[in-house]
Amino acid sequence: MPRPIIYVLLVLVALSLIPVGLMYKSRVSPKEGTRLQIVYDMDHQSYVKPQTKSEFFADGQSMRLHPSGTVARGQLQENSEFYRGVIRDTTYTEVFPLEVTAEVVDRGQERFEIFCAPCHSSSGNGAGMVHARATALAEGTWTPPTDLTSQTVVDRPVGHIYHTITHGIRNMPAYGPQIPPKDRWAIVAYVRALQLSRNATLADVSPDVRAALEAEPPAVSVAAPPAGDTTGGTPTQNQGE
Amino acid sequence: MTQENRKDPNTTDPGPNRRDSGGHFVFPRWTNLLRELSALLAVGGLVYAVLLVTWGLSPQNSAIGYAPEQPVPYSHELHVGRMGMDCRYCHTGVETGAKANVPPTATCMNCHATVKTESEKLAPIRKSYETGEPMEWEKVHDLPDFVYFNHAGHIQSGVGCISCHGRVDRMEVVRQEAPLNMSWCLDCHRDPDPNLRPVEFVTDMEWKPEGDPRELGAKLREQHGINPSTDCVTCHR
Repeated sequence: MPRPIIYVLLVLVALSLIPVGLMYKSRVSPKEGTRLQIVYDMDHQSYVKPQTKSEFFADGQSMRLHPSGTVARGQLQENSEFYRGVIRDTTYTEVFPLEVTAEVVDRGQERFEIFCAPCHSSSGNGAGMVHARATALAEGTWTPPTDLTSQTVVDRPVGHIYHTITHGIRNMPAYGPQIPPKDRWAIVAYVRALQLSRNATLADVSPDVRAALEAEPPAVSVAAPPAGDTTGGTPTQNQGE
Repeated sequence: MTQENRKDPNTTDPGPNRRDSGGHFVFPRWTNLLRELSALLAVGGLVYAVLLVTWGLSPQNSAIGYAPEQPVPYSHELHVGRMGMDCRYCHTGVETGAKANVPPTATCMNCHATVKTESEKLAPIRKSYETGEPMEWEKVHDLPDFVYFNHAGHIQSGVGCISCHGRVDRMEVVRQEAPLNMSWCLDCHRDPDPNLRPVEFVTDMEWKPEGDPRELGAKLREQHGINPSTDCVTCHR
């Protein structure tokens, strides 16, 4: 076979590898531009989707708010103690408007870890990661979060704590929009549990366990630094945003 | 290299003259290969084209790695990875709703009303908060509109965020990790065991089962009666 033909064939084979290489590259590298849409099918239909723009409504939102002055069925929230933490709109309730069971406290712990621990830390002492970062960034506008196990909070009626979660206080924003009422009460129950555990003394421990605790002093590090029990505890290094 | 050397001694190449004694044109012996060669080229070319199209248009190529630029360079790596925030702090609806909602600007302002208040990168957030004009985030994980998907069902069954979204806690910029195509969905619906975990660990990016994940998955599936359907109507309703 004449050499030129062999060369042409070899070049063809070599060229055929280029698209393969390009494809491999696109496969392993992030795609920052617009999405590659090869077959449209019915991928994009003109029905209303959550959190999207709407051409139909004047304000451009596809998700609609209630018309003002209306209440959806089942959302009247008549129970003032449960929904607002107050009795007759004047005094904070001192009793939980729901039965506090182990499940409620567990749920409260889970929700506390999600919504409260970033600032107040897992132990409630106020040395959470957001506080650590704000301190590391030397934010002048930052007010340290309250120690939830302090006497001030211990003395507050449960309705007051519920109200604070719902509407916020000082620098703390309102968490009503993020946490449903029942979960807010669960969090209040867990805050009470934290207060009990953080302010417990050896006398609170049942006698049989107390003996075991006294036998091994290093295990009871009551005087541990406040940030010692948060995850990591060390502030993140300042790396811009 | 001379003309003599290039000649194959086994062929009876008539040489440059390429004519037989009768003066007719004679094809050189190598041209006998053309039939096989063209067949090979045709078949090979066809296979190549098919492979190229299949591979090139596959979701592995078109979808995985999709990481569009967002209006604000929000870093999950910082907020989740380094500061340890839970997914559900922002994506509040993921346990109860079909959508893992993108948080409203107010959620950003929970902290950024007091932290990084002067940040240039956060200017669009502050503007959105003041004007009420929503942020226009780019949707990264976008299923076709003819597919029904419900986050709550998966979360409540103990399918971890990581199974579909990857290590979001390590992503400066969110990118699509899974192909999100139908065969990928079906892989798990036919055999969910390796992707099941106790519900309390769904958002945990570090969680690893102690023993065999398949064994634990089978146990959880039994416990919670998880029987993912593979009927068409499950997703196309």
